[in-house]
Amino acid sequence: MLRTEEMLLNVGPQHPSTHGVLRLIVKIDGEMIVDAEPVIGYLHRGTEKLAEDLNYTQIIPYTDRMDYLSAMTNNYAIVHATEQLMGLEIPERAEYLRVIVMELNRIASHLVWMGTYLLDVGAMSPFLYAFRDREEILNLFNELCGARITYNYMRVGGVKWDAPPGWIEKVGTFVEYMKKQMRDYHALITGNEIFISRTKGVGVYSKELAIQYGLSGANLRVTGIDWDLRKKQPYSIYSRFEFDVPTGKTGDLYDKYLCRMNEVVESLKIIEQAVNQFPEGGSIMGKVPRVLRVPEGEIYVGIESPRGELGCHIVSKGKDKPWRLKFRRPSFYNLQILPVLLKGENISNLVAILGGIDIVLGEVDC
Amino acid sequence: MVLGLVKGLGITLKNMTKPRVTYRYPDEPLKMPDRFRGIQYLDPEKCIVCNQCARICPTDCIQLTGKKNPDPEKKGKVLDTFDINFEICILCDLCTEVCPTEAIVMTNNYELAVYSRDELFKDIRWLHENNQNIRSENSTNLIKKPGGKTT
Ligand code: SF4
Ligand code: SF4
Repeated sequence: MLRTEEMLLNVGPQHPSTHGVLRLIVKIDGEMIVDAEPVIGYLHRGTEKLAEDLNYTQIIPYTDRMDYLSAMTNNYAIVHATEQLMGLEIPERAEYLRVIVMELNRIASHLVWMGTYLLDVGAMSPFLYAFRDREEILNLFNELCGARITYNYMRVGGVKWDAPPGWIEKVGTFVEYMKKQMRDYHALITGNEIFISRTKGVGVYSKELAIQYGLSGANLRVTGIDWDLRKKQPYSIYSRFEFDVPTGKTGDLYDKYLCRMNEVVESLKIIEQAVNQFPEGGSIMGKVPRVLRVPEGEIYVGIESPRGELGCHIVSKGKDKPWRLKFRRPSFYNLQILPVLLKGENISNLVAILGGIDIVLGEVDC
Repeated sequence: MVLGLVKGLGITLKNMTKPRVTYRYPDEPLKMPDRFRGIQYLDPEKCIVCNQCARICPTDCIQLTGKKNPDPEKKGKVLDTFDINFEICILCDLCTEVCPTEAIVMTNNYELAVYSRDELFKDIRWLHENNQNIRSENSTNLIKKPGGKTT
């Protein structure tokens, strides 16, 4: 009998497949993973603590830097929580602008996931196409709010900028363009034999496990659970739009891919409706006092970010700064299931499974 | 196996005829849209030393001091020194948003790379000389005009 020994393998923190700075301590027996332990915290900046010393407007640029692939939804989480606590009314036009940018951001975020995920499993060209199309969205954002990634676009009570002339039409054109692009992506990836053999039946988990680990977003829906906060606890004006919530059947990586691709299609539907209903004129900023003093109280709001339930919990003592601020960052919760999924897997599936969870380290560490 | 390859090549061929999407930066300058948040321009004449920009700055990177107006006829203060530390400025746009006189405004300039960290401290003179590509739309000032009508 050959004597085998377990080996410790250190993955990261500087490793392209970790999409940030994540370290994994992996115990392997030959090619099989016996145990895996994620080490997080390399990107910790103490956003929640810093926020205690910042007023509500100042916190918004900090949220840009949590989930930096989807800063618009982060912006929304903090302003939405503050508005709820203050009982503010948001003008129609601002709500429409918010929904349009959040859904555009969801598409941009899924495109990054799709591109880098295919890079992880060994395909180069989808990455280039995905980033080309994402660039279209970033250009739209750049025109709207003057930044490509860190938007700082929303304000308590509304949004900072109105749509520049012709911008809404450009969004409409983009929706048409993107619909066509989806066909190309499906032709390129969905039926590809190599992609299927690398993802079908890999990284499967059950509904029960997903719920036990508090997964949300596509990671939860892929097991067949129909749970989307835009439907279940409608916020903003989502109840006005018709869209479906794509769910998976088997819970494997291939399903996750399909799920996210279908979410892009649903987001396009929402944007299309929002563009058609977009109100002529009107204010983009509600009636907000000059100094934002949030009444004493506590609130938790959850919204559907591209990665899952993004929650914001504010405890206010009636000052212009929060007494305590807590973000429920979906990537942090979704990552916790990784050791379970990796146990017993072949080492070559490590990157595929990690990538499938779609974490953003800025959000894991916060 | 073969089918996927053929399909993939089809997409490649289709894209070969499409126009190029990359830019020739830095050989050719890359123009940013008007609202782009670049390095600030400062007009010391307009500044009333109200300190609002320094107070709203989330990263505390603005340092400014005022002095008594040298003209004895006029009241108030004039700007003496004004520094922005671009090591930590996140170009968030809040300082220009609160400035009541538009003394500090954004430009579309974004090239900040320098050889030493000290050079990232920009003083009043440097900021005043950074007067190209100034953003035209600065009046959308929410804190000043809550509920402002849009055009
Ligand atoms: S842009 Fe933001 S970080 Fe930079 S000086 Fe102005 S307020 Fe401070
Ligand atoms: S906010 Fe404007 S006027 Fe006030 S100190 Fe700053 S630059 Fe000067």
